[in-house]
Amino acid sequence: MKIMVCLKQVPHQDARLDVRPDGGWIQEDNIKFEINSYDTYALEEALRIKDAGGAEVVVVSIGPERVTQSLRTALGMGADRAVHVKDPEADASDPLGVAKILAAIAKAENPELILMGLMADDGNSAAVPPMLAELLGFASTTSVMKVTRSNGSLQAERELEGGALEVVELTGPSVLSVQTGINQVRYASLKGIMAAKRKPIDTKSVADLGLAGKVGAAAAKIKIEKIYPPPKGKGAEILTGSTDEIVNKLVGKIKELGLL
Amino acid sequence: MSESPGASFREFDLFVPTPEHALLAQTLHQFVAREVEPQAAAHDRSESFNLALFHRAGELGLLSVTLPEEYGGAGLDASAAVLVCEALASSDPGFALAVLAHSVLFAQNLAVNGNELQKKHFLPDAASGAKIGGLCMTEPAVGTDVLALRTRAVQSGEDYVLDGVKTFITNGGIDEHTLGDVFIVYATTGPERISSFLVEKGMAGFRLGQKWKDKLGMRASFTAELVFEGVRVPLSHRLGQEGEGTLHMMRNLEVERLTLAAMSLGIAQRCIEVMIRYANERKSFGKPLREHGQIQRYIAESFAEYRAARTYVYDTARRMDLRATGQRIDADATKLFASQVGKRAADHAIQVLGGYGYMGEYVVERLWRDAKLLEIGGGTLEAHHKNLAKDLARDPARVRR
Repeated sequence: MKIMVCLKQVPHQDARLDVRPDGGWIQEDNIKFEINSYDTYALEEALRIKDAGGAEVVVVSIGPERVTQSLRTALGMGADRAVHVKDPEADASDPLGVAKILAAIAKAENPELILMGLMADDGNSAAVPPMLAELLGFASTTSVMKVTRSNGSLQAERELEGGALEVVELTGPSVLSVQTGINQVRYASLKGIMAAKRKPIDTKSVADLGLAGKVGAAAAKIKIEKIYPPPKGKGAEILTGSTDEIVNKLVGKIKELGLL
Repeated sequence: MSESPGASFREFDLFVPTPEHALLAQTLHQFVAREVEPQAAAHDRSESFNLALFHRAGELGLLSVTLPEEYGGAGLDASAAVLVCEALASSDPGFALAVLAHSVLFAQNLAVNGNELQKKHFLPDAASGAKIGGLCMTEPAVGTDVLALRTRAVQSGEDYVLDGVKTFITNGGIDEHTLGDVFIVYATTGPERISSFLVEKGMAGFRLGQKWKDKLGMRASFTAELVFEGVRVPLSHRLGQEGEGTLHMMRNLEVERLTLAAMSLGIAQRCIEVMIRYANERKSFGKPLREHGQIQRYIAESFAEYRAARTYVYDTARRMDLRATGQRIDADATKLFASQVGKRAADHAIQVLGGYGYMGEYVVERLWRDAKLLEIGGGTLEAHHKNLAKDLARDPARVRR
């Protein structure tokens, strides 16, 4: 079985984020990057399938040279090889552009299963996995909490509104987008890190994938007009009363917000 | 246009020189947050060594970063050893010390000074953490003055007979009743002639002596006195030739001091982070603490000192050849400087946090206690002064090199 795992490199959760002077994106110089947290759970799920019965795990990422670090992390954790789409032509692709690139790689790799995070910590669009499935004609589901395989089909447990769960069965090659927290993500052991040195990272350009002019900024139908931090407002509400009253009001607020 | 050499020079990261170091740093960061930090305060309080965590570190390969790959190590360099010690000490210096005593003082020492058979026999278990090792140098009456050791080894047939007492041995025991597994022991085999021996748990006459309780800090590592009474150590357990002990000691002391200096870096780093956060959140006289000049001084000076010490330690690590001597000056100087930086940063942190800093819950109290040992163990500040003054007198040009 071959599993393709799509990883996005995003700003580190501890990074200080400043908006670029043109407002188009954040300043990326001098900040640390890491694998999108949702994607790390997808990778761990793939590695567990590999550990349980053998699978080849191929990790794929799009981005500049720094993305190599994230791919090496994945190889250190146990992925078998990596494909890196490193081409400025791919910059500023919209979700459809990203899905086209991933679909081109999937067509070449021919995986039975594609795993990726439900969304990216930075973009939050959650659009790529279903688009990718559509382009490939694969079965697909989202917000997956658990994956099991039996008799050639795939069962995925999904999280629904309010914490309810749903089990779906997928037939044939599938794209699953996974929720965070579904497993305990492993660290790369020293053995894994040293083994990763010998694992291949295959670099591709947009032209290699036959997508020249079809992805990237020029082809994007969605362009980021501007990003900005939320304006500072007077959103805070001070609860008053006895401790019990405050607690009751607080619980009420939490319920009201659907957090409980 | 070709890339200017200036650009690659700027991009070189002294602290994570290769992709492998970067991955190691990442693993350490996660391991420390998820598994080391949650247990640190409890093991300090109970003065106990966390054997399960030690095994876990072995599983991840963190006990053997510098050991050759053929013995189960990662074959990495001094920079990797420094990364491990810095990261562990940023959370739990006591545990970091136990790891250092095992992997640097015992395993790395053996990897450099042992023969093939000895390495094959002992290193794989040291790499995995299945057996825990340590180094026996200090004695009740002999510390810095190592050439005056009283533990004696006298050859008798195919064995040496070892008699003496060693003290302040990190990993000497695993708990109050259990001896550590294997040790490198320095003993005299003649006047001013020191030799090194491998002594294992189970050898007749080798036992756990006094257990040191109520240590000021580093309470998560176990410190013991070890007693050798007519212990018969086979010739096959001697490292190198008779009389080579001083050479083994000198070879190992350089990386020992460098990694101890790295522990002080970890302490300083954590204390600075705690100070910054607290000074941002806590207000006095209507403004955050960080806006008060006296507090600013604590934070700024600690940061500048930490960065200077860190750069010095990692630059020394970059140049260190683990199989050769020749960096005693920088090994002494890094530890001399970093240990004081660590202690000052911890002291400053307590001062910034005031009463809270004095309480265990805020961590810097523990780090302050732990920081002190690094001005004593592996060479006192005074030993570093002595060595540096002597070595620099011999080689004054070294100042400019």
